[in-house]
Amino acid sequence: MARDKIYSEEEFPSPLQQLWSSFRQTNVAMLGFYGYLFLTALAILSPVFTPYNSMESNLDVLLLPPAWDSHGDVSYLLGTDSLGRDMLSRLMHGASLTFGLSFIVVIISLGVGVLFGSVSALTHGVKSSIFNHFLDVILSIPTLLLAIIIVAILGPGLSNTLWAIVMTLIPQFIHVTHNAVKEEFSKDYVLASRLDGASSWRILQYSVFPNIVEKIINQATLAQSAAILDIAALGFLRLGAQSPLSEWGAMLFSGLDLFYIAPWTVYLPGLAILFAVLTTNLVGEGLRHAVKMRKEN
Amino acid sequence: MNLLDIRNLSIELKTKQGSILAVDRVSLTMKEGEVRGLVGESGSGKSILAQAITGILDDRWEVHADRFHWKNQDLLRLSPQERKSIIAKDIAMIFQEPIACLDPTTTVGEQLEEAVPNDQLTGYFWQKNKQRKLAVINLLHKVGIKNHDKCYRSFPHQLTEAFCQRVMIAIALARQPLLLIADEPTAAMESTNQGQIFRLLASLNQLKNMSILLISHDLENVTHWTNTITVMYSGQFVEAGTTEQIFNSPYHPYTKALLDSSPKANIELPPKSRLTTLPGSIPVLQHLPIGCRLGPRCPRAQQICVKAPKTTNYHGHQVNCHYSLKENY
Amino acid sequence: MPALLQVSDLSKTYKDKNYWYNRKQYTALNPLSFSLDAYQTLAIVGEIGSGKSTLAKLLVGAEKATTGKIQLNGQLLTKGNFKQRCQHIRMIFQDSGTTLNPNLTIAQLLDEPLVLNTPLTEPQRTQLIRTTLQQVGLLAEHMNFYPHMFSGGQKQRISLARAIILQPQVIILDEALASLDPSLRAQMINLLLDLQQKMGLAYILISHNLGIVKHFSDSIIVLNSGEVVESGETKVVLKKPQHKYTKKLLMSQFFQIKH
Repeated sequence: MARDKIYSEEEFPSPLQQLWSSFRQTNVAMLGFYGYLFLTALAILSPVFTPYNSMESNLDVLLLPPAWDSHGDVSYLLGTDSLGRDMLSRLMHGASLTFGLSFIVVIISLGVGVLFGSVSALTHGVKSSIFNHFLDVILSIPTLLLAIIIVAILGPGLSNTLWAIVMTLIPQFIHVTHNAVKEEFSKDYVLASRLDGASSWRILQYSVFPNIVEKIINQATLAQSAAILDIAALGFLRLGAQSPLSEWGAMLFSGLDLFYIAPWTVYLPGLAILFAVLTTNLVGEGLRHAVKMRKEN
Repeated sequence: MNLLDIRNLSIELKTKQGSILAVDRVSLTMKEGEVRGLVGESGSGKSILAQAITGILDDRWEVHADRFHWKNQDLLRLSPQERKSIIAKDIAMIFQEPIACLDPTTTVGEQLEEAVPNDQLTGYFWQKNKQRKLAVINLLHKVGIKNHDKCYRSFPHQLTEAFCQRVMIAIALARQPLLLIADEPTAAMESTNQGQIFRLLASLNQLKNMSILLISHDLENVTHWTNTITVMYSGQFVEAGTTEQIFNSPYHPYTKALLDSSPKANIELPPKSRLTTLPGSIPVLQHLPIGCRLGPRCPRAQQICVKAPKTTNYHGHQVNCHYSLKENY
Repeated sequence: MPALLQVSDLSKTYKDKNYWYNRKQYTALNPLSFSLDAYQTLAIVGEIGSGKSTLAKLLVGAEKATTGKIQLNGQLLTKGNFKQRCQHIRMIFQDSGTTLNPNLTIAQLLDEPLVLNTPLTEPQRTQLIRTTLQQVGLLAEHMNFYPHMFSGGQKQRISLARAIILQPQVIILDEALASLDPSLRAQMINLLLDLQQKMGLAYILISHNLGIVKHFSDSIIVLNSGEVVESGETKVVLKKPQHKYTKKLLMSQFFQIKH
């Protein structure tokens, strides 16, 4: 054991670390990532940092334009809406509602979906076939339609919206996990583990999950951008968040009547939704690009 | 007359850490009607060399050569378009896993029809369809497929690897090329099928006087079918000569080690004895040795081997070594 | 003295999975028997579909045999009891690209069979991994590398390390040498011969390369479509093949050498 270190490389990056470093090299993806972090921070900290209470109305300052307009006021930076509530505070609070809730929705449906997906991948035969066909039927219905149906059954309200969207996203996660786990099981190293005497649970934990994490995260970013749009759409249709909650879709609806006299009440929430969906998609796209780059190297 | 004449071809790969010389000054000549074997293990750059000849490398690779003549016409002076048109007319290539090289969504017949060039079809435009079909049936018969009807209507995944390789050869023959480059055509097959494909290639060589460049990583498989052999190691040219010269009297230590380590070539080895091999393994692209790349592993290496050796020619048997084994013979 | 591995009347029939009311059956392997001693190598030769991979799966326990039994040192081996088998019979697969989990370091990879089957403590396991890696010709510091950093030949050595780490008695090489370059193949053969002498292993070599079979094996079984076409000592079978299938195989391979 004369020489201990023969190789000049000091670190040995695991595949996930390599993924992170090729993600960091894509500038556009990092931009999206910083936007995502900004929105997350806003979602968590907005109850503390809003200049005014987002639900308190001040009848002296109805429909004030944003500060850059000649009639605007700096203390209400983005103007006010028809009930005198500050737009900036409402947008910040809306971030925690629309964006934050979409994040929670994705986490819940990921947990349930991955669990069911991996259990179903372990079954064979008639049971598995019935389950898969049932899943295919549910997947063929568009998520927004399904969410509307579920909310129509449960009644309007923000928490019901949450459950509706969770239920529409779970089948997608089950599908992706099922296929990924089935594909992993056909590889030789899983067979080698099984021959070593590993139980199915251990094989899932060590051999299968580290290799399907990328696919699941990919599906999670897609699901999150769909969830943001669904929450906003349900709010717009007045089936989701009820006033006075400042969810972005509900704000869009309430500003629509006044579009010609107060356009900022419409375009500001619209831009916020655009920004949220764009950053989520950029992060997802960056991840896919990083996976491709890592495979090429 | 030399069909293909390449002198000192180098291929560089541009990476973030600098440029890597994947193929280092390799020379290759092919005559009409000759079957040449290009032998090298993985990492020897033989596939990249073949792709550089046919011009299908992408922008990351840079190709330089002192001489690159095809039928005495200098290809380096032409524009890339002209070069491509000349090469596409006369050189064809077949690859390693034939089922993966055929389009899985169309039938084999349609793909063969696509391969037949338009100028081979004489006649009026309503006759062209029938003529195309006849040309395809002709090609299938040439590669030894007799029941062309079934083959015409099948998809690639319904056929075996050997069958698909014949179809690939038929597609390559559609343009009546002068040189066929076969990049490890039988790597994915069993031995009886390998024999069939090699026999087919040999018969095409004899009947149509078509030259074949047979690329393989196994020296023992190609010695029966080739006239001349070129050996490459890690991107460098090692040895070239007729098959008898290389098999019976290898001059380079690497070729000698290759022949010594194969049980098929040494029939009188005592069973279950150790095979003589070179120590160590093939260098990776990131850590290539300077000068002669066999240096770290060669039993005869000396100080001078950090400089790349020059090619010496002994009656058509070329060697790239400072200490060749010529004196043993 | 009883043989190390004794197989009698082993066969495998598959039911056609597409129709659950249909009685159609497909015989992958007809009944065959053989025996194997320590320090011996048995070669199984045949084309795709001849049943040799089925035989490998039956021996290692991945599938249940329809008839017949396998005895190791006189003890009967049952399917599903992996812990009993894996200490004695290990397998090396062909495609080194998918045999190693890309997200585990080599140390974690080699740790797994030890954790599942032996009562060794952590420092003892690390020491055993170190010595095993050195036995197959790799460096001890390779323990912390990930599989994508190795070449094909080195990955096969890691598979071999994973096979010998439990000190088995029989190793099945399922076309393990087919995808390697000739010089790496020769190095692996030398390594396998050394280990056979040192550890008293018995090998079952599944290959279609008759040169290696002739050099490396003591006895040979030739399979064709699930049937044993010829069997016996390698020297005898390859010099004087009796069945025409064996003759065809020999002709297609040795035909390629110029004398």
